Amino acid sequence: MSTVAYITARGLFGRRRVLLLLPLPLLLAGLALLCHAYGVDPNQWGQAVIVGLGFAVVLPVTSLIVGTGVLGSEVDDGTIIHILTKPLPRRDIILAKLLVAAGVSAVVSAVPLFVTGVLADNVHFGLALAVAAVVGAVAYSALFLLLSLLTRRPVLLGLVYILVWEGLLGRFVSGTRVLSIEQYVIAIADKIAPTDILPGKVNLTVAIVMSAIFAIGGTIYAINRLGSFSMAGETS
Amino acid sequence: MSEAGVIHDIGYQRYQGPRLGRAALLGALYTHGLRSAFGLGRSAKSKIFPWGVAGIVLLVAVINAGVRSQIGRWLFDYYEFANTMSLLVIFFVAIVAPELVSRDIRSGVLPLYFSRPLRAADYVMAKVAALVTAVWLLLGVPQFVMFLTGAFTTKTGMKGVWHELGLLIPGWGYSLLWALIFTSISLLVASLTGKRAFAAGGIVAVFLMTAPVVGVLSSLPSETAHHLAGLASPIALVNGVEIWLRNRTDLGLDIGDFGPIYGIEAFCLIAACLLLLLARYRKVASL
Repeated sequence: MSTVAYITARGLFGRRRVLLLLPLPLLLAGLALLCHAYGVDPNQWGQAVIVGLGFAVVLPVTSLIVGTGVLGSEVDDGTIIHILTKPLPRRDIILAKLLVAAGVSAVVSAVPLFVTGVLADNVHFGLALAVAAVVGAVAYSALFLLLSLLTRRPVLLGLVYILVWEGLLGRFVSGTRVLSIEQYVIAIADKIAPTDILPGKVNLTVAIVMSAIFAIGGTIYAINRLGSFSMAGETS
Repeated sequence: MSEAGVIHDIGYQRYQGPRLGRAALLGALYTHGLRSAFGLGRSAKSKIFPWGVAGIVLLVAVINAGVRSQIGRWLFDYYEFANTMSLLVIFFVAIVAPELVSRDIRSGVLPLYFSRPLRAADYVMAKVAALVTAVWLLLGVPQFVMFLTGAFTTKTGMKGVWHELGLLIPGWGYSLLWALIFTSISLLVASLTGKRAFAAGGIVAVFLMTAPVVGVLSSLPSETAHHLAGLASPIALVNGVEIWLRNRTDLGLDIGDFGPIYGIEAFCLIAACLLLLLARYRKVASL
């Protein structure tokens, strides 16, 4: 299992690919620093940076690229067959991949969000944002890992979820919020450290239960799918 | 009968006919690019996403046209239509740009392309033209539908039609500006990687992560920063150009007297992206 995790991590980071993940968190922390340096009131820039950039872009996009990359790229190349033919339970493969994906997305999004939170308010707020980002990273990673097993175009489907479901509909149709990980993340952060900056719109219990359902349900279904995975030929 | 340089002549007949030059290659690449943008000639699976986006955009235009014919007023005019559809245009280029360039890198056919009389500039030009046309069609056709409604429901006869046409043509020009900016950025990002998945994610990341920067810069206490905030994001940049050219003030972006800067940046952005794209393929072509 640790070997699978090691290979996955090397596939993500190898050959300077890790540099591709840097601009998003750097931009997030940089903007917070800029606003802090100019002495702008956090109530004015907080929502744009933390929600608009952090929770709506950095967290989901990183999780999407990493979460579909850990398994999807191997399915695409066909190298997944090397892992599948080893005497390893499929459960271990999924868990190792999920661990790497969630860990990387959590670090990439939680660290800049922590910095932003500290600059916006205090350390407590920073920790709240970081915890919420970790929860979100686990839920998103499980979802996108599952997507990369269900379809050949996981990134596009994931983008539909992020752009259309959470981005367009989440803003106008309140009912879609119950199925939007972004809203859970905001609600959790808002509950841990209540401020005027975050608009928590979902009930905390709903947020925690639904995040757990996304994470655990996604993982179990992904294990199930990989258990009956068949190598398909080149399509479309 | 064998020539001096030929080692074995096993009797195959040589091709003696006319050879189509670079222009034909360019035309073929362009047609192929435009067809694959909409998944034509490919399996039904690869048609789902582009036609899904095109369908939604057209549906919005039809609803808009229906409202116009009922209450005599647009929900949004030709310009606002392009602005409102920005998320879908981002999604569209994230689907199509990797389809056009990343596949060629992935399957390693670039050396085959460049072993023909095709040059790097031709390849880039054909791909850019194909994507610009695709994005322009995505916005232009629904705008034309809106125009037809406007023209058929006009109360002032031919004069009304001419007036409507006078609104449509600049609207088409505006869509062309959208198409040029989105195409040049997305093709540049897509040409960096052979993995379609990464390319799509990268394109969306570039467009989405620059959008909140505008909001943040607008909250800075400097007047100049407010006016120049729109330069940070391609979407706001296009809006800024519209504000500058049409003297609009009601679009939520205050550009002050910096209108020409927006125009210059739009031009420079397109030119820089295309030159970088060309440099990228120069390297491949010379391998």
